[in-house]
Parts: sequence; C-alpha cells; structure tokens
Amino acid sequence: MSPTVALVKAALNSNFGWSVVRHRLFVQKRDRWMIPLIGLAVVSVVPTLVLYVRLLGAAFDMLKSLGQEKALLTLAILAGQLIILVFGLFYLISTFYFSRDLEYLVALPLKPSQIMLSKFSVVLINEYLTMAPIILPALIVYGFKKRGGLGYWITMPLTYLLLPVIPLAAAGLVIVGMMRLVNIGRKKDLLIVLGSLVLIAAALFLQFGLSRATGTSAPDVQQIIAMIGSPDGLVQTIGRRFPPAIWATRLLNDGLLAASGFTGFILFAGLSILLFCGLMAGAQRLFFGGLVGLSERSGGPGRRTKAGAKIKVSSGRHPVRAIFLRELRLMNRTPIFLLNGVLGVLMIPVVFALTLSSGRQGSDSADILRLLTSAKPVTGILVATMFMIVCATLSGVASSAFSREGRKFWVSKVIPVDYRKQVLAKFLHSMAIALLGIGSAAAVLIFRFHLDAGQWLPSLAMALPITAFLTSLNLAIDLARPLLDWISPQKAMKQNLNVLIAMLFDLGFLFLYGLAFVTLGKSGLTLAAVLAILAGLGLGLAVLAFALLLQFALRRYPSIEV
Amino acid sequence: MIEIDHVSKSYNKGAVRAVDDLTLTVPPGEIFGFLGPNGAGKTTTIKMIVGILKPDGGTIRIDGLDNRAEALRCKAMTVYVPDEPEIYERLKGREYLNFMGDVYGVSGDERRQRIEHWLEAFELTRAVADPIQTYSHGMRQKIILIAALMVKPRVMVFDEPMVGLDPRSSHLLKEAMREHCEGGGTLFFSTHIMEVAERLCDRIGIIHKGHLAACGTMADLRDQAKDKASLENIFLELTES
Repeated sequence: MSPTVALVKAALNSNFGWSVVRHRLFVQKRDRWMIPLIGLAVVSVVPTLVLYVRLLGAAFDMLKSLGQEKALLTLAILAGQLIILVFGLFYLISTFYFSRDLEYLVALPLKPSQIMLSKFSVVLINEYLTMAPIILPALIVYGFKKRGGLGYWITMPLTYLLLPVIPLAAAGLVIVGMMRLVNIGRKKDLLIVLGSLVLIAAALFLQFGLSRATGTSAPDVQQIIAMIGSPDGLVQTIGRRFPPAIWATRLLNDGLLAASGFTGFILFAGLSILLFCGLMAGAQRLFFGGLVGLSERSGGPGRRTKAGAKIKVSSGRHPVRAIFLRELRLMNRTPIFLLNGVLGVLMIPVVFALTLSSGRQGSDSADILRLLTSAKPVTGILVATMFMIVCATLSGVASSAFSREGRKFWVSKVIPVDYRKQVLAKFLHSMAIALLGIGSAAAVLIFRFHLDAGQWLPSLAMALPITAFLTSLNLAIDLARPLLDWISPQKAMKQNLNVLIAMLFDLGFLFLYGLAFVTLGKSGLTLAAVLAILAGLGLGLAVLAFALLLQFALRRYPSIEV
Repeated sequence: MIEIDHVSKSYNKGAVRAVDDLTLTVPPGEIFGFLGPNGAGKTTTIKMIVGILKPDGGTIRIDGLDNRAEALRCKAMTVYVPDEPEIYERLKGREYLNFMGDVYGVSGDERRQRIEHWLEAFELTRAVADPIQTYSHGMRQKIILIAALMVKPRVMVFDEPMVGLDPRSSHLLKEAMREHCEGGGTLFFSTHIMEVAERLCDRIGIIHKGHLAACGTMADLRDQAKDKASLENIFLELTES
C-alpha cells in the first residue's frame, strides 16, 4: 500500500472511529444502546424529509410552468456550495491545524501535500454527509420529475462528488495562506480567531451578495419577462455571481453527450481539479510553515516572569468560582471553542438579521415580520421567545461541556470538589454563554425588528427559564456519554454526537412548547394569563431539570473512567 | 495510610482481568514502589486508589476511609500525578497552580511560599506565566509535580513520576518524596527504574498479570528469589512468562 493511501485510510479510520466502534460493539459489547437511539434519530428525520421532498416537487412544478425548472438544480448546487463554504471553514482550520496527530505526522517521512491530502479527504467525506440531506433530495426529485434517463443518473453522482471540491479547495487555499501569515509568534491564537472572522465575514458578504443577485434587488417587470422568456434566464440570474453552479446545472440537465453539458463538465471538473492541485501545491510550500509554532516551546525571555518577581497567587477562591474560571479560560483561549461557542451565539442572530434583509423598504422580510407581529402580539412574543431560546441553546456549549475536557477529565475526577459543585460551575458557564446569545438576539429584535418593550420583555421572561431548562438537559446528555478521547477540538464540539442528540431534543421540546403556546392562546385566556402559565411552567421545568442534573452527576461521575 | 483489600478490576466485560484480588497495605511514613511489566495492572491500581476507576470488587481505604463511600474526604488528603502529563494546555502555569490551590483549599500565604519554593527548585519560575501548551514534556511533568507538592497532602500517588525529568529534577523529586514520608506522609508510586526503586523505597510490590507476585523490603524480595544479585534480576525472575 502506498504511503498516501495508507495515510488517507488511517485518517478516515481515526476520524470516523470505525475500529473503535467495531471494538466497542463487538469486542467490549458496550454502547449497543446507541444503535436503537441512532435508528430513532434517523426515523425522526423522515417526516421532515418527506415535507422537504414535497416542497421540492411543488417548486419544480411551479418553475416548470415558467419553463425555468433548471433553476432548481442551480439553487440546490449553490445552496450546497455555500453551506460548505461557511460551515467548512471552521472544520478546515481545525482539521488542518489543530489535530493532535499533526505533530506525529510531521515527524514521519511524508510530504506536506500527503498530510494535507489525508486531512482534506476527512473533511471532504464529512461534507458529503453534511450536504446529503439538503442536496441529494433536490437532485433526485429533479431526476424523477424531469424523467431523466440513464445519462442523468450517471452524471448526478459525478456532480455530487465534485460539488464540495471547489468551495473546500478555495477555502483551504485561503486558510493555508492565512495560517502561514498569522503564525508569527505569541499572538497566533488571536490572529487565528481574527483571520477566521474575516473569512466568515467574507463568506457572509458573498451570501448576502448572492441573495441580492437571486432577485431581491427590485427587478422591474421587463427584466422579469426577459428572465422568464429565456430558458436559462433564472439559472443565469441565480448563478451570475458563482458560474460553477451554472456549469454543474448544464452538466446535469443537458448530459455529457450534449455540447453544452460536456463544456459544463470540463469547466466544472477543470476548476475543481485546478483548485485542488493549487491547494496541494500551496500545502507543499506553506503547510509546515503554518504548523511550526502551533506546539512551539517557550521562546525568548521577553515576557517571562523575571527571577525574583512575585508570583501572582489567588487567595482561596471558592471551588465553584475556580472551576467556572477554568471553563471560561479554556473556552475563550481555544480558537475552535471560541469560534463555535461564544462567537457562534453572538453571530447567529446577526446572520439571521442579514439574511432577512433585502435593503429595500416595504419588501424587507423584517418589515413583513414586524407587520405580522404587530397585528398579532401573541405571535410576536412566541416568535421572539423561540428566537431567543434557539440563539441561546443551539451552540453546543452545554452539550459538549464534559466532552471538551477530553483526556484532562482525570483532573475533575481527582480534585476534592463535590461533583454537584463541578456541574454547577459548568451550568453557570453554559448559562453565561447562553445569556450572550439571548442578549444578541434581543438586540437584533429591538434594533433591527423594532420590537417594543411590551413584546421583548415578556419574551425574555419566558426565554430565560426555558434556556436554563434546556441547558440542564443538554449538560445531562453530554454527561451521560462524554466524548473524551478526541484528537481535534472540533470533534469535541461540532462532530460530537451529543451535540446533535441535544439539538434534536431541544427542537422537539421547542415544537411542543410552541404547540402549548398556540393551544393556550386559542383557549380564550388573556395574554397575561397565557404568559404567566408558560413562564411558571418554564420555571418549574428549569428547577426540576437542574435538581435532577445534580442527582445525575452524583451517580454518573464516579462511573466515567478515563 | 493506603489499604487495598481484595481489589479486582477487569475490562471488556471480564475478558481481561487487569487487577485480580489485590491486597496490600502501605502504612504512614512509607515509600512504596510498585513495579511490574507493561500491562501488569500498575496504572489500573493507581487509578483505582485515586478514584478515577471503579473497582469491580474489594475496597480501598485512605487513612481508614473507604475511597468510594467517603470519596471527597479521601481526595482532600490525596494528590495524584499521572503517567502522561495531560493538563489544561490553554492555562498558564500560574493559573493551573492557582486552580489546584483553590480546589484543594490551600491558603494564600502557604500557596505563595510553596509555589515560589518549588518553582525555584525546579527552575520553572521564568516560565510560570506562559501557557502550558508552550511547555516541553518535562516542564509539564514539573508543573503537575509542583501542584502536588504545593498541596502537601498526607497521601501522594505518583504514576511513573520521573519520566521526562532531567537528572537534577529527578534528584529533587526523590528528596521531596523522602521528606514527605519522613514527615509521616504516605507515598505510593510506580516506576520502571529499578535503581530508583531499590534505593528509595521502604518496600516494593511487584505486580504481574494483575496479581501481586511479591511484596516486601529489598531483603524480603532477595529471600524470595533465586538470583539475589539485584532488583532487576529479581524482577526478571518473578515476571518471567
């Protein structure tokens, strides 16, 4: 086996943990309860998938009546590539530069491009899985509705395989360059965070630009007629800022045997290969330069404590405060945790506000939402409450609180601090970050959607206890099965199954909560009574969940073995 | 005092018995060396003493207290140094020491005095304000040891504490270990360095395939072995096959 193939195989095995899973299920005979749970999670997605397929079918029919059905493909491809670009950024940075196996790999007789290829393969396969539920249904629905022949079903998987290469390779190139530039000394973590923010801002700008290009920039009637008049009109409009989407559409729709389809394939595959080769060449020159220093030893004597200087010592902090501080520092100083956790909760509401903005008075989604909520205050409060809770809890901070400790969990096991106090500190830290999310969401609701105090204050009062409840629930999910054996911090947060399970539970609960809200709203009770009942319910749930979490900590901590 | 009473631990649902019916006692004031080949059960035993692993059967008592029923009280009088210096890399050395001081309740004055003393002794004063991720393996080992010595507990449990230390630091640690036991403390440590065990330990236990193959003073062990030349020979003889 060639070293490259062996390396890629080992990287995939290590990332997906096939050997570990096989060992646990068939040798240790542990974690078998996970199989029905995963089955349940898959089954729970089916209704949403059916709804999505129906929506796609309706969209196809609507576009077909205008002769623009190809636009469905362009939209799907563009959406897929944007998802990869935005979400792949953190993942690429983490996998390329923060995997713990890098220092071993660097010492092996391997070329930088071989290491980069193994890391890229891991990200690529993950992206295929991430895109699948969004993109594959669109491509399949199109194939069936269009009655695509054998040619379509051959080119479809080929297009799907090529789809993530362009955005990933392009982002990879930027990251390799950025890491080489920022790896210049002690402030590298800060520079990585700032660099990542610049990349995210660029990706958002691109998304914003594209959303404007897709028709929210006030086209006049003549433009619309011209657009619909041409069979490629809508495809061209959508894909104008990102031509690979048009090339892939032609490849899929016209097939490899048609000149336009073949040209599309040559352009799409050609650019993919070009960028991929560019990334490998860039890696060969720049990858190690960006790596050196990530695990560097203390260098010059510049900022070191002078001999004889007094060491700053704290004087007997309460253990809860000490653990809270530890959690705070570890999260804020690990770029991947900071970007996913703290900056994630701060940015989600802002991204949401940007997504809803067209920039024009009257047709702005924000204006429509405002009109809707002012006509029905209950709806406004419900939407604002849900928005605050989602922004506060879906970051994965609580559902990875124990996993983030990784192999250092032994410290938590040996220190003489009651497990309940340790969990209290983690709860307070998760809540502090959730409050940042609520604050950011409230700011967007107040300043972007101009919600008055009569609407956002009750929402805040209802969101706080539910956030506390979900924080306890998410902590319990992670405590039940902490993922402590990770080699990349990304695995502890974004690739942690606990985060996904917690998210499904949270969304399920929010659905029931919304249902309760609507039912109570229709029951004839006054708005104040509905709000009081729901706030009371939230408070009761929060107290109960926290009490149960503390009891669970007492039982679960001793049996976690590291 | 550490009392291990008929303790067993297995992995893979009983397929691998890491520690099998182990019984031994380490009285106060004693340095107890725990030897054994790789995979013999040393780390598993140590992790059970400090409460990281749960025994399948048997009891472990620290100063007469069951380490599971009275876990907090036992932990308050025990410090542990692992074989791999896995600690919070994103904290600075000083922050890690303060964290350990806070959770073990070491007062401000004692903390300052002990931290300054041990930092100076292990030549880590200039690096203590740096993040631990910039430390070498040996420096990480030293900061964990300084935290343990700062706490100054009654019972110390070290898993291969000399690995990664330079000769000077290794010598310092041995002195600190001896001083700890002369003050009435108990020390239980594992090592692969026969010379250290031979010179430093009051008693030695040799574990092999989860069983205690031999236990006693150097003189006792010599009596049990045919080849009495050195601890290394005794070790090789007892752990053969």
